[in-house]
Amino acid sequence: MAASKRTTPAVFVLLAIVGIAFVALPLAGLAQRTPWSRAADVLTSDSSVTALRLSLVVATSAALLSLVMGFPVAWVLSRSTFPGRTMVRGLVILPLVMPPVVGGVALLSVFGRRGFLGGPLYDLFGVQLTFTTTAAVLAAAFVSFPLAVLVLEAGLRSLDLRLEDAAATLGGSRWYVLRRVTLPLLAPQMAAGLVLCWARALGEFGATITFAGNLQGRTQTLPLAVFERLQTDPEGAIALSLLLVAVSLAVIVGLRARFLATR
Amino acid sequence: MSLRVDVEARRGDFSVAAAFEAAADETVALLGPNGAGKSTLVAVLAGIDPPTQGRVDLDGETLDDVDAGRHVPPERRPVGVVFQDRLLFPHLSAIENVAFPLRARGAQRRGARSRAAALLARFGIAERAEARPAGLSGGEAQRVALARALIHEPRLLLLDEPLASLDVRARTQVRALVRRELLAFPGVRLLVTHDPVEAMSLADRMVLVEEGRITQIGTPAEVRAAPRTQYAAELVGVNLFAGRLEPLETGAGRIVTPEGDVVVAWPAGAAGGVEAVIGLLRPADVSLHVQAPEGGSARNVLPGIVGSVSVEGERARVRIDSSPPVVAEVTLGSVERLGIREGTQLWASFKAVEVRVEVQAEAD
Amino acid sequence: MKRAIVGLACLAMVLTACGSDSGAGSERSEITVLAAASLTAAFTKIGMDFEWDNPNATVRFSFGPSDGLATQILEGAPADVFAPASPKYMDQVQSEGPGVTGRADFARNKLAVIVPSDNPAHIASLDELAKPGVKLVLAAVGVPAGDYAREILANAGIQKEALANVVSNEEDVKGVVQKVLLGEADAGIVYRTDVTPDIASKVRGIAIPDAVNVIATYPIAVVGGSRNASAAEAFVRYVTGPGQATLRSFGFLPPS
Repeated sequence: MAASKRTTPAVFVLLAIVGIAFVALPLAGLAQRTPWSRAADVLTSDSSVTALRLSLVVATSAALLSLVMGFPVAWVLSRSTFPGRTMVRGLVILPLVMPPVVGGVALLSVFGRRGFLGGPLYDLFGVQLTFTTTAAVLAAAFVSFPLAVLVLEAGLRSLDLRLEDAAATLGGSRWYVLRRVTLPLLAPQMAAGLVLCWARALGEFGATITFAGNLQGRTQTLPLAVFERLQTDPEGAIALSLLLVAVSLAVIVGLRARFLATR
Repeated sequence: MSLRVDVEARRGDFSVAAAFEAAADETVALLGPNGAGKSTLVAVLAGIDPPTQGRVDLDGETLDDVDAGRHVPPERRPVGVVFQDRLLFPHLSAIENVAFPLRARGAQRRGARSRAAALLARFGIAERAEARPAGLSGGEAQRVALARALIHEPRLLLLDEPLASLDVRARTQVRALVRRELLAFPGVRLLVTHDPVEAMSLADRMVLVEEGRITQIGTPAEVRAAPRTQYAAELVGVNLFAGRLEPLETGAGRIVTPEGDVVVAWPAGAAGGVEAVIGLLRPADVSLHVQAPEGGSARNVLPGIVGSVSVEGERARVRIDSSPPVVAEVTLGSVERLGIREGTQLWASFKAVEVRVEVQAEAD
Repeated sequence: MKRAIVGLACLAMVLTACGSDSGAGSERSEITVLAAASLTAAFTKIGMDFEWDNPNATVRFSFGPSDGLATQILEGAPADVFAPASPKYMDQVQSEGPGVTGRADFARNKLAVIVPSDNPAHIASLDELAKPGVKLVLAAVGVPAGDYAREILANAGIQKEALANVVSNEEDVKGVVQKVLLGEADAGIVYRTDVTPDIASKVRGIAIPDAVNVIATYPIAVVGGSRNASAAEAFVRYVTGPGQATLRSFGFLPPS
């Protein structure tokens, strides 16, 4: 893009620097306080490696779950008109503004052993969701689901519906058009949604610790491991935190760059 | 094979009522000003919007019947549509766009691709097969859109303003292709346009649509002879000479029509042989003289008596019963200055290059 | 330019407003007490009584796992009084941190097994925590309640089996109580004092035999560098003095 003749006002530049610093400085502080000599030990310790592996599994599963569940919701919100649509959208966005711990409690009330879905599940099949990795995935999916809906709805609204009409006149059944026209055109938004959900899921703490509990190898994701380590070894916790940041950054930058390149 | 339409369709608070027929191997132009409802009709015929009343039959098969509750969805209609904005799939290459209708019906990738490649070659853009729509020129994209609509051999071809979004140069090229493909298409052909020249040069019959109603149906000649509305009259204000083209001298030819001859510039790319052509001349390009003009560059000087003068604002359309007859558009001032009235003897002149020649068919 | 100055001035005001909640120069003396989670109910009451007797004093509590609280003090958190559930963490603050003054043991506690009132896993004694499939919740390693619980399980010779049943390590003992209260855990090991009257209807306490049980000793002290040492000392004296009756009423054992 050629340089614009309109220069950015100095105030904006100043405020932008403040904004960027707001995020960059704490991260720099983390890096500065990291005990680099001990960092390797902390990061390669059993609990850290386990937490990292679990986090990757949970975040990926949760992001995919959010995307798959979020797509039909986004579709209905963007294409159907029905009374109370605004309310439904507000409802779907709720986990985003709800304190995550409250989200965890909400999940317990439904899927917990005494929950109205979890109860019958336990009584009839002896299956309990709490304290499982599935619970960690559900907790992470719960908080990242609104992001999937928001991004996908925006994407669906930006589509030229006439392309779908054209595809129909060319012989495409509804499913064929969805598969070969709508979804491919939505690919950038789906990728963005996946990345956002993944990042949110990776950092999820409150709902996880409330609903899934904290057990190494099963439910102790990286944020939980950081929190536990913070009680006794703050410097080690910082090293672990930096790992969390680095992983998130790598994924966000890596994936976004790929899709930014085609735009 | 034929199309029978008798529908009422609604889009928002705008409604269109249309009843007409079109036979196979016939090009029907749906002609009307913008906002008349033409695109709504296209949507109904394509199956995208169901009509609110009436029925649509194609080759005896009922596509729409509101009373019976029957509506065949677009994907099951034997209809090929070229849309006003082309609507090529931006994420697919040209060849994939063209192959889409085949693949949507279950064809294997390789077979579909080779058929698409053949069609692109026939349309002269084989080398652009792998390009994305964004990288195609207007003319190339229009050809891809046309190929895409034709490849699955529909029985009804709908062209919605196929030349509207093209620049002049592309338009000339694509028009020739459109004409060729239209003539070769065995089914019913419906051309939607707001350009009278396009309609008159491509259509066998015209259906005039104004403000949601059909106002006239007829051949271009019929409409020209007896326009029923102001719009129709304005339409036929274009001078149209249909006949044989004979070479006259280097760079020039003569259109021989039953009513008289017109000297024209030899159309580029036309073969040396005699051909069936249409010559189109805008009334504004015709000059009127009260005395025979001499020594001018206009190759056509036609004497005649003024048949009628109709005034519209600051302009006047003067019909001259010359051989062939022409309509001239001059300013009101000129009419007054030259004392032009019915029965006045005048000379109409225009240059050979001002006549636009459209080759209709090769002579054998 | 003018607008930029006004903007920056507003920003400055907001920042100073945020920073000045430490009430410098107030007549009231305010102390911050970092206390083990198991002391939540008892100390809250003691705090109210203390404030009643000392109208100029305000007590702010921060309850949590003793290991985490100790770390906070070591990281420089402003604390006037520290009351962990284990001498280990007082020692840590004493030797690695700002040091303490006026250290005294003020209470002891025993641990107990709790189960939800409907007892889904039919636990009747400590040994049954070794039954396969029991969903056991403990406080995390490093939290006194967690360390004590593991010690008890080792004392009873069922550590291996019971630890295999652990489904969650909570950040503090209240988290354990919560999981049992919600009915998600089959059993948990907490302090006896955690079975408070208001939850007595929803959980059942199962006594741990004294032979294998652990007696937790709670020390209290003024943290070195306290900005309100006299008020802090007064609070410590209150806890070891008039507060003892309150502690007793909540189920704590006397210090010796």
